[in-house]
Amino acid sequence: MAVPFETISSLAKQLDAGYVSARELVEDAIARTERLNPELNAVIALDKPGAIAAAEKADKARATGATSPLLGVPMLHKDIFCTHGVQTSCASRMLADFVPPYDATVVKKLNDAGMVSLGKCNMDEFAMGSSNETSFFGAVKNPWDLNRVPGGSSGGSAAAVAAGLTPMATGTDTGGSIRQPAAFCGITGLKPTYGRVSRYGMIAFASSMDQAGPMARTAEDCALVLNAMAGHDPLDSTSADMSVPDYSAGLEQSIEGLRVGIPKEFFSSHLNDGVAATVSAAIKELEAAGAVIVDVSLPSTDLGVSTYYVIAPAEASANLSRYDGVRYGYRCDSPSDLQDLYLRSRTEGFGEEVKRRILIGTFTLSAASYDQYFMKAQQVRRLIAEEYQSVLKDVDVIAGPSAPSTAFVLNDGSKSITDMYMEDVFTIGANLAGLPAISVPVGLVDGLPVGMQLIGSRFGEAQLLNIAHQFQIRTDWHSLTPDLEGLTG
Amino acid sequence: MTDAATVRDVAALARLTISDQDIENATAEFNQTLALFDALSTADTTDVAPMINPLDSAQRLRTDRIETLVDRAGLMQNAPASEEDYFLVPRVLD
Repeated sequence: MAVPFETISSLAKQLDAGYVSARELVEDAIARTERLNPELNAVIALDKPGAIAAAEKADKARATGATSPLLGVPMLHKDIFCTHGVQTSCASRMLADFVPPYDATVVKKLNDAGMVSLGKCNMDEFAMGSSNETSFFGAVKNPWDLNRVPGGSSGGSAAAVAAGLTPMATGTDTGGSIRQPAAFCGITGLKPTYGRVSRYGMIAFASSMDQAGPMARTAEDCALVLNAMAGHDPLDSTSADMSVPDYSAGLEQSIEGLRVGIPKEFFSSHLNDGVAATVSAAIKELEAAGAVIVDVSLPSTDLGVSTYYVIAPAEASANLSRYDGVRYGYRCDSPSDLQDLYLRSRTEGFGEEVKRRILIGTFTLSAASYDQYFMKAQQVRRLIAEEYQSVLKDVDVIAGPSAPSTAFVLNDGSKSITDMYMEDVFTIGANLAGLPAISVPVGLVDGLPVGMQLIGSRFGEAQLLNIAHQFQIRTDWHSLTPDLEGLTG
Repeated sequence: MTDAATVRDVAALARLTISDQDIENATAEFNQTLALFDALSTADTTDVAPMINPLDSAQRLRTDRIETLVDRAGLMQNAPASEEDYFLVPRVLD
């Protein structure tokens, strides 16, 4: 883009005023992506003809009087959303050649709003990871430091927005996969309430927690996009049959008197000192804006990690049983019989982290282990959800760090599998309880972005966006951008 | 602790193969993950109902009417092997 770090709100004004056309925005975005992406690896499919055609359509619509804040604005999709005629791989060898014959509801709704899809973003394979290192297409690099991870699983989406390839990318969040990469890359990312956004056409990982959301520079932009994404979908039986408010309407409301709960467990030994100080300063900023800070407790925070890593792999093992090499997806060469076809297609088609989780999930769902692990985890899940609900009776929102640290280095061999799982300790609770949560940039530690997470009551997205917007009016952390001028690709 | 034989059995249930070279490491990782789950036993879940869905909502049923959402030809284009409208797999019956 000629103005690579512009917000959607700003681009919409420029488009309306005729200062720039949708086609020009798309051409600039493609040129910037072709220059920077060889190093970043944030984008794994560019749909140039489709993007230019959609941009021309948007320009024609605007010329005939159509207007919408999203009309002609470029976007990228996490490669977990089915896009008609465009590769949808979920960053897996299993789906490397899969071309869906239909659009996900999220994709359709954003297309209908006039947004222009540039292509697809890299991600952790089947959304299983917190570093974007499990992708079949290779790791994504963090635009703030190319030796570090962008977070995951929506790491490509976060890196693409942070690098100014697009003003918005879609993401999905099963255990923190929008919020943690948003925090690591210095952007704003919203995980809506479970059921707020349709899951139709979104490749399933853990169906009782998966939820799609926007990743953008500002809360104001996230509100604009959520207006278009949200709503009941008869094609998703778990989507909530509730009206969608105008998320932009309440952004300017004062947060005077707002009660913000700070769980002591979010400032535990897991938390890096620099992140703790930065998030504490951001909480003080909310207080200065009139919020009332309240100490609260979520004693089962640590148990959330165990609970999540039983439930998510169990659901994944069932969801991923559909990949058998028969109807679509990877098939091994010259199978000797049907069993050989199943075994080798799955063993060769899935990556190591995906197979690890399928194994654990298969084990915890087996008859001998079901009560000890799966049933127990579902019971603990209720205890955790009730803790959140109890706290949210006393406060309006819960605030804390989005992640225990800033972005860690790529290929960090010192982290064990369970160390990696602990990265999700602060984000998992909102998924287990189905609550909305947003991550906003609140500062830098050693040149790396830090995110603050706000968790709200069910269907309380408007309030989260209001608070985040009020924070962003008072601060400029969301306006900081990484220096990428040395990158030539 | 789970042994290598059990891990192999689980892999077979999941239609995955673990090589002889990888089984030791896979078993160690498996046990490392199970150890993380030990914490669950500390929670008192007496009389606590399992939470299957975060909204505790029941499955909604739609009207029992056939709807065609996707074109068959588009779906068949992704088939690794097909003939006419059928997916091809290795012969099952001799």
